[in-house]
Amino acid sequence: MVLVLALGDLHISHRAPDLPAKFKSMLVPGKIQHIICTGNLCIKEVHDYLRTICPDLHIARGEYDEETRYPETKTLTIGQFKLGVCHGHQVIPWGDLDSLAMLQRQLDVDILVTGHTHQFTAYKHEAGVVINPGSATGAYSSITYDVNPSFVLMDIDALRVVVYVYELIDGEVKVDKIDFKKTTTTQVAH
Amino acid sequence: MVKKRVPDWLNSSLWSSPHPPSPSPYDDGEDYRLRRSSSAAESTVQPPVPVPPPSATRPEPPKVEIRDRMNDSSDNGGSGSGTPSVEDISRQAQLVQELSRKVINVGELRRLASQGIPDGAGIRSTVWKLLLGYLPVDRGLWSSELAKKRSQYKHFKEELLMNPSEITRRLEKSTSSENEESKCGTRGLLPRSEITQGEHPLSLGKTSIWNQFFQDTEIIEQIDRDVKRTHPGMHFFSGDSQLAKSNQEALKNILIVFAKLNPGIRYVQGMNEILAPLFYVFRNDPNEENTAFVEADTFFCFVELLSGFRDHFCQQLDNSVVGIRSTITKLSRLLKEHDEELWRHLEVTTKVNPQFYAFRWITLLLTQEFNFADSLIIWDTLLSDPEGPLETLLRVCIAMLILVRRRLLAGDFTSNLKLLQHYPSTNISHLLYVANKLRTQSAY
Repeated sequence: MVLVLALGDLHISHRAPDLPAKFKSMLVPGKIQHIICTGNLCIKEVHDYLRTICPDLHIARGEYDEETRYPETKTLTIGQFKLGVCHGHQVIPWGDLDSLAMLQRQLDVDILVTGHTHQFTAYKHEAGVVINPGSATGAYSSITYDVNPSFVLMDIDALRVVVYVYELIDGEVKVDKIDFKKTTTTQVAH
Repeated sequence: MVKKRVPDWLNSSLWSSPHPPSPSPYDDGEDYRLRRSSSAAESTVQPPVPVPPPSATRPEPPKVEIRDRMNDSSDNGGSGSGTPSVEDISRQAQLVQELSRKVINVGELRRLASQGIPDGAGIRSTVWKLLLGYLPVDRGLWSSELAKKRSQYKHFKEELLMNPSEITRRLEKSTSSENEESKCGTRGLLPRSEITQGEHPLSLGKTSIWNQFFQDTEIIEQIDRDVKRTHPGMHFFSGDSQLAKSNQEALKNILIVFAKLNPGIRYVQGMNEILAPLFYVFRNDPNEENTAFVEADTFFCFVELLSGFRDHFCQQLDNSVVGIRSTITKLSRLLKEHDEELWRHLEVTTKVNPQFYAFRWITLLLTQEFNFADSLIIWDTLLSDPEGPLETLLRVCIAMLILVRRRLLAGDFTSNLKLLQHYPSTNISHLLYVANKLRTQSAY
């Protein structure tokens, strides 16, 4: 039972001052084992804050990040799943499933986490799942007009993942979940 | 002013010689030891006389003796004599006989066990289970009782040691029907579903299983740390061997289940030390059937044993009538009753507050003061004495003080404290004998 937090596009302090208070009260240290961040934090203080929640932090570089040394993409293995992170501004058209699927095949991961659109989505296609945790601060976006603060928490348990989606709608935290299982068929190299 | 001095019998030359066996072991219990000591005091020491077992002759003694030697060498250290005395063998035979009855006479069992349970026949496990009330006295009921308790423990484990992911999964299975499994090849948005009962991992609600789980993790970590530190010198408990690891796992499970079932007291450091001897004894039961269920048996016996001492572990009760401070005060009062000179010297002159040494003696039931094998023998007495473990424990503590009284009377604060916190190894049967005598000598 591994808890992985996925969030990004906070745009602190350019477009948003801070995470919503209700989110911050829930994100306490000690519960989460890994954090995957899609990028655009943007300042170092946010990085430090995320480290206090969990020391195992994986960040991909967003176009506004002040830290230039984050990688463009990153992959990691948690349990039976391979996860990949990328900010998403590199993949055009932004938010398009087919292009993201290409990236997923390139990285050879089961779960791809990207951002940039500031909108939560979770897609499934043959190669795996693409999750966009949205913007954790609800920062202004040039792509979408209606941005609700959101982030994602994945509970990885053997071959099953439960994705909990946390959204702040009208000042209240709403939680939904998505279930999926990884098929055990091994990938055959083409 | 007449000071209450140590009674003369304590200063007699009796202590330098072994006690001769009594001619008839089946005399009334209470006077048993007194009669022995008085007969010894009158006559000079006699060589041990072989005592015929009371019932029809059984072929026990020669076989038993060989096993005794084997067991003695495998036990970590031993008390007093290495080879079992004739007394031990006869007592063992009596115990075995008592245990083989259809309905066991607990009073008789207590009497026999309080003199120490010999290691030979591997009966300590069964005797302790009877003394703690885990096994009923009627042998016929044993299998049904054991089956009931063991399945209950299994149930506890399944319920309490499940992590929240599994719990939510089971909840879902029972409430909603299985969603259409998306097959490979379909693409599109993954369907969102509602969470069951507002349960999510970051929930801060008091009734949330996730929140409780995270709060319990702290305790589980504490238990884990303490279990790893239990008896680091013993291969049974510590080290990298498969045996040690599985034993540690079992100890952890028992303590976690206990903590979850008792939210009022949870886990307190020290409970692992009380659990360890129980587990050791039950795990070394020669009966294979019992060792398969050692966790369940140990759990219930642990609960039973701890029930008399729970209040010592509860911090809020420290200053109350049932708390540890009150027990220590009782100890102090007992000491004053039995040996006022020592009491005065210790508490008034050298200002050794009993809390400095007795706290550990009492809360951990003397497991830390003697080597492991000796503490098992002390526990034989603690568990079998009809006065109850707490009263017996206090008497043993007083006996411990009295046995080193000469050194205490000659020492100052530092040396006395050092002595009592690192109690010197001593002849255990001697110690228990003194403790027993204190019972008959007390004012009431």
